[in-house]
Amino acid sequence: MNLLQYLPGNSVLHRLNPVTKLAAAFLVGICAIVSHSVVFTISLIILLLGICTACGLGKRALRLTRSLLVLGGMMFVFQLFFVRSGDPLLSAGGFTFVTRDGLSSAVLLGLRIVATMLPLMLLFAITEMNDLCGALVKRLHVPYRYAFIVTTAFRFVPLFTSEFHDIEDAQKARGVEYDGGIIKKLKLSVPLFVPLMMSSLKKVDAGAMSAQLRGFNLRTVSSGYREYPFTAADIGCILFSLLLVGAAAVL
Amino acid sequence: MIRFQDFSFRYPAGGSQQPAEFALKDINLEIRDGEFVGITGTSGAGKSTLTYSVSGLVPHHFAGDFYGSVEVNGMDTVEVHPEQLAKFVGQVFQDIDSQMVSSIAEDEILFGMENFQVPRDEITRRLETVLEMLGIASLRRRQISSLSGGQKQKVAIASILALQPDIILLDEPTGELDPESTIMIYEILRRLNQEFHKTVIVVEQKIMVLCAYVSRLIVLDKGQVMFDAPARRITDEIELFQSLGINVPRVVELGQMLKKAGLYAGEIPTELDGAEKMVREVCADAAV
Repeated sequence: MNLLQYLPGNSVLHRLNPVTKLAAAFLVGICAIVSHSVVFTISLIILLLGICTACGLGKRALRLTRSLLVLGGMMFVFQLFFVRSGDPLLSAGGFTFVTRDGLSSAVLLGLRIVATMLPLMLLFAITEMNDLCGALVKRLHVPYRYAFIVTTAFRFVPLFTSEFHDIEDAQKARGVEYDGGIIKKLKLSVPLFVPLMMSSLKKVDAGAMSAQLRGFNLRTVSSGYREYPFTAADIGCILFSLLLVGAAAVL
Repeated sequence: MIRFQDFSFRYPAGGSQQPAEFALKDINLEIRDGEFVGITGTSGAGKSTLTYSVSGLVPHHFAGDFYGSVEVNGMDTVEVHPEQLAKFVGQVFQDIDSQMVSSIAEDEILFGMENFQVPRDEITRRLETVLEMLGIASLRRRQISSLSGGQKQKVAIASILALQPDIILLDEPTGELDPESTIMIYEILRRLNQEFHKTVIVVEQKIMVLCAYVSRLIVLDKGQVMFDAPARRITDEIELFQSLGINVPRVVELGQMLKKAGLYAGEIPTELDGAEKMVREVCADAAV
């Protein structure tokens, strides 16, 4: 299951301006980085989960949190052993394994990972890539070219994946055995990537021709058909996020 | 109006290879406004290259040796950029997936109109019109990746029609479609040709479909025009088609067999209704 996949919906969060969502996701991320309080960071995560549940995204948010906790856990372990200052908490045979500072900074780092990544991943769950880019072009005047590159890259991922499986199946059908160790798999992937590259380049070229024949190079900032107005909800959301940043800095 | 004059084109040779064969050679063709032209031929005959030459992708996107001239609505394709030509020529490509630029059907149709700075209310009007014309209004907000081949093809055609070109080029638009969707697409093309007076140029392998719909059939082989006549004239050149490895419609084959056997002396039909008449005639004769 693709963690970045868009989940259609019509909640308050869904209906926010994409620029607002992006800004809010960044601001919440900044909160998590600025804050040195474990309690605050945990409350922030709980608050995020609460808002998501209220908007019908609870399941996705929990799933994201769970997968982020794995990453956070890994960072926790590293941090635990790398920080050597502070009173020893766990020592054996004259060697200190865990210190007080190490434990507190490891807990904070693990939680930070979750609290910074969660809003960004949620952003993709509630915002369509096209809308995000459209709004960035229209509102923030990001050059359309760059926005187009990003949307196209996202769009091509599933195409390439299915192409990859087709080539793999074609080779399996001719007797290539893909089971085995990592080294064997790596060796076998070379003849997979060459046809994949070839067909991908062809596809990209066809896409470029089709875009060109529909006036891609004539596009300007004002070309976009969709409007992305800011509403009271957007202002509220930004103010609330700023408030959180302020709270994070103080606490 | 499209005019090819002594037109030849050769793709560049890769690396140190010998220069490639001419993809198109000594083409002299004139396609008038409002024609419904079918182009067929075996693979490598130069069909796609011919469509690229009309839309200006040859020589602007595909560089190579270009001889003679191609004029579209009085403009030399070498001198105008494909984007200028795109106001008159719309092209639907063979690979239906890779020509899409958006992930939502509606955005795909909007793309060209946005680029060409069509005014807002005009965009809304055209969008509604093409959605309705192709019967895809219900697919508006759908993800393109979730559409079937026929639906995608309709979205691709709609995105071109929204730009209101005079000339519509389609490269094997029914290649991945079942017979029912094929007929549906051709009914749309016929309507565009007859009601909206668009020039329609379609590359197609299904010869039976071409016989049923197009007014003019062009057969290419190794870059040269081997046949250029109304589709029903195919019956005069059955041997030519067979020697080029192009199947003639089965009804034509049947007519030829009946004729050879001395059972039928009339005109060989190219479509089913005519075939039915022919068979009834033969049966009636046999009964006598």
